[in-house]
Amino acid sequence: MALLEVKDLDVRFAVRGGDLTALRGISFTLDKGERLGLVGESGAGKSVAAFSILNLIAKPGYIAGGQILFEGRDLAAMSERELRKIRGNRIAMIFQDPMMTLNPVLTIGTQMVEAILAHRKISKKEARAIALDRLQKVQIPSPEKRLDQYPHELSGGMRQRVIIAIALLLDPEIIIADEPTTALDVTIQAEIMDLLLNLCEQENVALMLITHDLGVVSQVTQRMLVMYSGRIIEQGPTREIINDAQHPYTQGLINALPQMGEPGERLFQIPGSMPSLKNVPSGCPFHPRCKFATEQCKQAMPEYVRSGNVNVACYEVANLIEQEKRMQEAES
Amino acid sequence: MTSPLVSIRGLEKRFDLSGSLLEQITFEGGRFRRKQEAVHAINGVDLEVQKGEALCVVGESGCGKSTVARTVMGLLSPSAGEIHYDGQRIDNLERKDSLPYRRKMQMIFQNPYASLNPRMTIQQTLEEPIRFHHPDWSQVQVRDKIHEVMHSVGIDPDWGSRFGHEFSGGQRQRIAIARALAVDPEFIVADEPISALDVSIQAQVLNLLMDAQESHGLTYLFITHDLAVVEHFGTRVAVMYLGRVCELADTRTLFSAPRHPYTQALLSAIPKLEDDRPNHIRLKGEVPTPVNLPSGCVFHGRCPYANERCRQEVPQLITTDGGIQVACHAVEEGRL
Repeated sequence: MALLEVKDLDVRFAVRGGDLTALRGISFTLDKGERLGLVGESGAGKSVAAFSILNLIAKPGYIAGGQILFEGRDLAAMSERELRKIRGNRIAMIFQDPMMTLNPVLTIGTQMVEAILAHRKISKKEARAIALDRLQKVQIPSPEKRLDQYPHELSGGMRQRVIIAIALLLDPEIIIADEPTTALDVTIQAEIMDLLLNLCEQENVALMLITHDLGVVSQVTQRMLVMYSGRIIEQGPTREIINDAQHPYTQGLINALPQMGEPGERLFQIPGSMPSLKNVPSGCPFHPRCKFATEQCKQAMPEYVRSGNVNVACYEVANLIEQEKRMQEAES
Repeated sequence: MTSPLVSIRGLEKRFDLSGSLLEQITFEGGRFRRKQEAVHAINGVDLEVQKGEALCVVGESGCGKSTVARTVMGLLSPSAGEIHYDGQRIDNLERKDSLPYRRKMQMIFQNPYASLNPRMTIQQTLEEPIRFHHPDWSQVQVRDKIHEVMHSVGIDPDWGSRFGHEFSGGQRQRIAIARALAVDPEFIVADEPISALDVSIQAQVLNLLMDAQESHGLTYLFITHDLAVVEHFGTRVAVMYLGRVCELADTRTLFSAPRHPYTQALLSAIPKLEDDRPNHIRLKGEVPTPVNLPSGCVFHGRCPYANERCRQEVPQLITTDGGIQVACHAVEEGRL
């Protein structure tokens, strides 16, 4: 059984004039110690997906349907009291901006001890020892000193290390990291990603990495999901998708990267932009930007089809697979 | 060799942190002292931008790349050094004399949500610079020009009466580009013009900038932290670290054989699609604060090749055999 299984998750936002659907039919699994990437542009719903796993979506958002099974128990149906036992303890989260997540008026040590004592019945002294151990694990120089420092005394990279140390405090099963390095410089980003990758491997923690950076996903994760307008349009092994993307959107996303073009030549570009939740196109939400779009694409959302180890929601891909099958049958 | 379009000579920029005279005075050891502190944003930068090229300036936050852009544009006045445009010194001009240069030099900013006036329609936004620089133009001329630039950036001219907030980020950046192009500039300073945009939109805007370069014969000074964009877009690259240029070379040469240890680390840190596992050159520590600059080479504290000379003496840009200009004692001495 998978450690985490999300089944047909729907998330909506109740606003004046009806509900907006932010996530539609999201299904995926995460195994123990696995690293999964969630890729998409802003507005694709990747952060909402991450937040909804711990039922952290603020009103007017709500989970309208589906299940989030963690070790077989449905997080979507759990009471707030039960959820609190899981949040930060079994499933930890790392957010984008470390300055927003750390309390500016408490020392690093106080914040770490507080998080431990919320879940464990141990003495403050023991909790401090755990905190110190985790700071050492994230390779912060002079960790003893950091416990008594305030967040503003640390640099951006150092703060993100503290955040990772806090995520590791209670030996979680899963870490959900929402754009953990986007606010950082390239060289610092590289260090933090190395650190996160090594720690997850050492401690056998499953990682759900949300990012818009395909380079990071390709280096860190084993499997990936590509999201567009609240739907998963492609999912499968990272290497397979990066090397041979099936969905026209994923292909476009990869080909639009400057490193894919010849220097000085025009880049491949996807026309238009991601639709807003207020007017999601009918059928496949990508059809107005897709060069393969047909009448069928405007009618209904395509079902997932399997190509290799990858699941894709696209009529064009389905047709290609169908054609290939027919050709093989004709040959034999 | 032709003379450069823009040349930056010995540029320095300091931002005073110490405030007024009263705030500077402290009482120490029985006597009053005056203490002054400054952020040393740029510490001696020499750059030349050739006509028709795209010179990219890269570096991490705090390296002074945006300050270079703003000083070139005259938005900040240099603490020392000179800016020359087409042979004429422009950093000390009177307001009246600087007007023609302000038309020839335009800027595109990072955040299109902040750089468009929310209370102006797109028509007004585009009209303002044209009317300012061409007061003699007729209504029809102005309107035709607006149509032309809106069309050239892929924004429907019929949307002129809309406001900035009605557009997406990518469209806003197109409008910001249209505003820059409206007065037929020769030279465009673009400060992280695509950093705030999504991947698929980045490609659109980058293509637009390249098309504009071709059709208008533009010269770019392109500020960015994204090395993949530099490799694609830049003719030459200047790598900055703590207010100094540490390496300057043709894009292809720099990416195939970087010489400065900082450039090497920076290039190895880009996450690449083909790698299964990251394999970075690791740097010690973090960027020091520009308030108290390290002595000697500003990079020595994080450099694996630093020796006594690096801690004492500031390295100057030297030209190596491959045509790369690099400021590093280790390269100069053949240690690297």
